[in-house]
Amino acid sequence: MASLLQPDRVLYLVRGEKKIRSPLSQLYFCRYCSELRSLECVSHEVDSHYCPSCLENMPSAEAKLKKNRCANCFDCPCCMHTLSTRATNIPAPLPDDPTKITMKKAYYLACGFCRWTSRDVGMADKSVASGGWQEPENPHTQRINKLIEYYQQLAQREKLERDRKKLARRRPFMPQAFSQHTIHVVEKYGMGTRLQRHRSGAPISNLYGLSLKEGEDQKEIPIEPAQALDEVEPLPEDYYTRPVSLPEVTTLRQRLLQPDFQPAGASQLHPKHKHLLIKRSLRCRKCEHNLSKPEFNPTSIKFKIQLVAVNYIPDVRIMSIPNLRHMKESQVLLTLTNPVEHVTHVTLIACEEGDADDVNSTAKVMVPTKELVLAGKDAAAEYDELAEPQDFQDDPDVVAFRKSNKIGFFIKVVPQREDGDVTVAFRMRHDFRNLAAPIRPSEEGDAPAEAIWLTHHVELSLGPLAP
Amino acid sequence: MADKQQTVLKSGKIAAGAVVCVESEIRGDVTIGARTVVHPKARINAEAGPIIIGEGNLIEEQALIINSYPENIMPESEDVEPKTMSIGINNVFEVGCVSQALKIGDNNVIESKADVGRNVILTSGCIIGACCQVNTCEVIPENTVIYGSNCMRRIQTEKPQPQTLQLDFLMKILPNYHHLKKTVKSSGKN
Repeated sequence: MASLLQPDRVLYLVRGEKKIRSPLSQLYFCRYCSELRSLECVSHEVDSHYCPSCLENMPSAEAKLKKNRCANCFDCPCCMHTLSTRATNIPAPLPDDPTKITMKKAYYLACGFCRWTSRDVGMADKSVASGGWQEPENPHTQRINKLIEYYQQLAQREKLERDRKKLARRRPFMPQAFSQHTIHVVEKYGMGTRLQRHRSGAPISNLYGLSLKEGEDQKEIPIEPAQALDEVEPLPEDYYTRPVSLPEVTTLRQRLLQPDFQPAGASQLHPKHKHLLIKRSLRCRKCEHNLSKPEFNPTSIKFKIQLVAVNYIPDVRIMSIPNLRHMKESQVLLTLTNPVEHVTHVTLIACEEGDADDVNSTAKVMVPTKELVLAGKDAAAEYDELAEPQDFQDDPDVVAFRKSNKIGFFIKVVPQREDGDVTVAFRMRHDFRNLAAPIRPSEEGDAPAEAIWLTHHVELSLGPLAP
Repeated sequence: MADKQQTVLKSGKIAAGAVVCVESEIRGDVTIGARTVVHPKARINAEAGPIIIGEGNLIEEQALIINSYPENIMPESEDVEPKTMSIGINNVFEVGCVSQALKIGDNNVIESKADVGRNVILTSGCIIGACCQVNTCEVIPENTVIYGSNCMRRIQTEKPQPQTLQLDFLMKILPNYHHLKKTVKSSGKN
């Protein structure tokens, strides 16, 4: 029955820019806005770059220079696994005395997964363990760099002209430096708008080196247009008749991972440096607070800030489902877990007839009308033998069992359709104590944190009808 | 018309120089060559015919080499000829692999949890990757590497290295910790 515990059986509705239904384990909770957030309604920012195999951190500027590739690690061009350096002993004459022969170490790259070696493409063994391997140079690099410079200059010139036109309409004593620092215009050939939103006021780092000083003339970079050739190299005569040797031909994936060369033959697949991964931090779009901020160290998987929904919102899970029959009432056992340390009161409300969120349910559900009380999560409870069991008067028709911060309760389900999966939806209302809000000094001696009531729309997928 | 209901007595020989641990399970007519190491808990089962294993092989724990009856033939039917499974030299059967291939050449490596079917013939230098199931009806060309969850194939330029270092080490260390099966110098009478 482990399939009942699968995360996608219970979905919570997130009301953001779009309505998203997602399991609670994949949601975040902004405790300043007191709302659920999903990955699509937060902004993702790059925190740091690191290499996944040597776990070396790389500052963003250096990462950009190296095109987001690690300097030490290589990827197998055949199966994209990480390459490891292996050593062999080869006899070689001593440099001083040509008659004596000693064993020297020669290093080559090998893949442990598909057994590709650097000798397969003809790369000679190197005498140093690391740093000896070079990627082949792209023959078009110079031309591409020249073109990029030319177009960046063109874009900047156009932007200046546009700003100048705007300034000409304004009053004449506007400072000239205004044009350098405004990013109201989307920069052509530059970064996207998302990143620019957060950087108002900072100069564009892309063109930083090329920033114009007032009055200075920029050197014109001339480019020649590409020449179209009339004659194309003819295909070899046996192109259509020669049988294809499959081990020699590269797969599309192998080919496209090297967009510079896109080799068609397996003997030209050279290893590339390993791509860096990023650690990202998430930020709520409405209140600009961080929802998730990982640690800087690549070897650490912890978070500095981790506002995940499972730590704040009670978790509904399906425990057991009886045989569901069309138009017959059955009892489904659900569990509710309290993630916080204080007592939580949960009320379940069935969705009304005209509820706009209730699009997926195929069955009628009768939820318990009474308020369910959940004990707080007490980490030391299992070690404390003298603790008195908390006395909650539970109605045995509603509450099946109670165990520390978890209760099991029944809901009644009447499937309305003859075939297809049974899906039910209801609303869950619980109290939330916001510990992030500043504690107001209260004269009457109120509870330190005020409780607010949050309502969530929960959908359960109960599976197919019994045959 | 030998009475096939009779249990087959264990025949076949273990050559001198082979290291076969007592905890390994060897059933049926199995011949093991010199310098072969059979780890404890390896299983070699010659139920439908004899198995001949060459020299310098490495058979690791929980590996299963089985000469089994083809699936749709009952063991009791009369017209089943016992086919001999032959395994060459310098092969490696890694932990947990299952090999039913009738003919295995030299220098092959069957990695952990790989499954080789009965109708596959491994030539030499082949590497069947971990968890790959090969149950086609074909001869695998030399120096083929089968890897990945989709059993992709490629040809490598040189055969895998024979595990001489590992074999030497095991032949020294295993007798310190395990009892070994007795080796026979001359061929036994069958």
